[in-house]
Amino acid sequence: MDHDPAVIAGVSLAIEAVIAKALELSPGTQGRLKQLHPLDIELHCTQPSLRVFASIEEDGGVQISNYRETKATVSIEGTWRDFSRLASASDPAAALINGDIKISGDTAPLMQLQAILGELDIDWEAPIVDAIGPVLGHQLAEVIRAILSGSTTAHRRMKRQLSEFILEEGRLSPPKQELDSLFTAIDELVLRTDRIESRIKRIKKRASNLIGVVE
Amino acid sequence: MSSQDNLTDDTTDFGFERVKTAEKAGRVREVFDSVAAQYDLMNDLMSGGLHRLWKRFTIELSAVRSGQTVLDIAGGTGDLAAKFSKLVGADGKVILADINAAMLSVGRDRLIDRGALSNIDVVQADAQFLPFDDNSIDCITIAFGLRNVTDKAKALRSMHRVLKPGGRVLVLEFSKPTSPLLSKVYDAYSFSALPAMGKLITDDADSYRYLAESIRKHPDQESLLEMVEDAGFVDCRYHNMTGGIVAVHRGIKG
Repeated sequence: MDHDPAVIAGVSLAIEAVIAKALELSPGTQGRLKQLHPLDIELHCTQPSLRVFASIEEDGGVQISNYRETKATVSIEGTWRDFSRLASASDPAAALINGDIKISGDTAPLMQLQAILGELDIDWEAPIVDAIGPVLGHQLAEVIRAILSGSTTAHRRMKRQLSEFILEEGRLSPPKQELDSLFTAIDELVLRTDRIESRIKRIKKRASNLIGVVE
Repeated sequence: MSSQDNLTDDTTDFGFERVKTAEKAGRVREVFDSVAAQYDLMNDLMSGGLHRLWKRFTIELSAVRSGQTVLDIAGGTGDLAAKFSKLVGADGKVILADINAAMLSVGRDRLIDRGALSNIDVVQADAQFLPFDDNSIDCITIAFGLRNVTDKAKALRSMHRVLKPGGRVLVLEFSKPTSPLLSKVYDAYSFSALPAMGKLITDDADSYRYLAESIRKHPDQESLLEMVEDAGFVDCRYHNMTGGIVAVHRGIKG
């Protein structure tokens, strides 16, 4: 074990606390996680070397540990960079399949877990209401919701406008349709070239046969 | 360090003092009688809460499963016992043992408050003479207790006797920092800040001075590993934590 177990225990404790809080604010998720018990997931980071285990408990809670003697249900192995890519991917399932991460064991519960986490609906308004009361808490939550919604819309709009600028105004990149048409034309050209090549070969062969007969 | 080093001429270490072997248990009892009520608070203050992480890793190493019997020696205020209680479940059993009645009393009260006593037996026992049948326990833990035992080798042999074959012992104890710089900082902290904190919280600087001294007199990682092996355990190893300030030793009864 390369890392100080106390450090890993501290990080595990913090992650467990965050997960416990998230599950507390999304009780339906905990109920669904219960069905996955006993699920042990081993995350094996090869560079830097680190093994962490996440287990679904009988009550649907999640326990993180860095020492386990029993075999995990499913083991996910990769470098820190692979795991970072997976974490930041817009489509984690595709990133998992197409990336360098190795998965061994029973992957079915892992897919179920991914589906459950995908539907995680955290009632983050509840702790605000608990802390400052229902009237003020709800108002504050509305403000936060508006800011979040506004920033999401602004982000989406900016992305679209940037794309329009690159395509239309700056003409820095051809439109997708043009590219598709170009690629189709190239494919067609490749096919034709292949056909011509094989035809030339056939003619050459026939010509060499004819020369042989004349001689 | 062997049992012989520890018990030369019928005397033994009590911190930096040499006392008669027969007196040590009484002197240790006085220390823990004095600190029992504030023991957990002091542990949190002295270690900055790190003792919880050290204990957490010890529990992970125990690999305890439902239905097993766990003996927590020098279990004092019962924090490990409470965690084991959940792991062994209703079919298992946890025995919280301590030589000190005051510590056990605090521990029992805490466990009653947590509603965790249903599968926990509380026993006043000396680690050197464990009052349990041979081959009857699946796992034994002793957290921050071995250094206070008069004859450590005898205690380890007693643990070996009561463990079932394949059972494991885990000794969580202060040890020797691996870095000389950390060692200096740690020494300064132990002999200055620790007694001062003891004085402030429990009005008892001497007990905490003893704790610091007893840590220095305790065998280092390799010596304790040798002692665990000498007691008959196999597949022995240790894990340093927080730069070697604490180490957890593991041995299996073959």
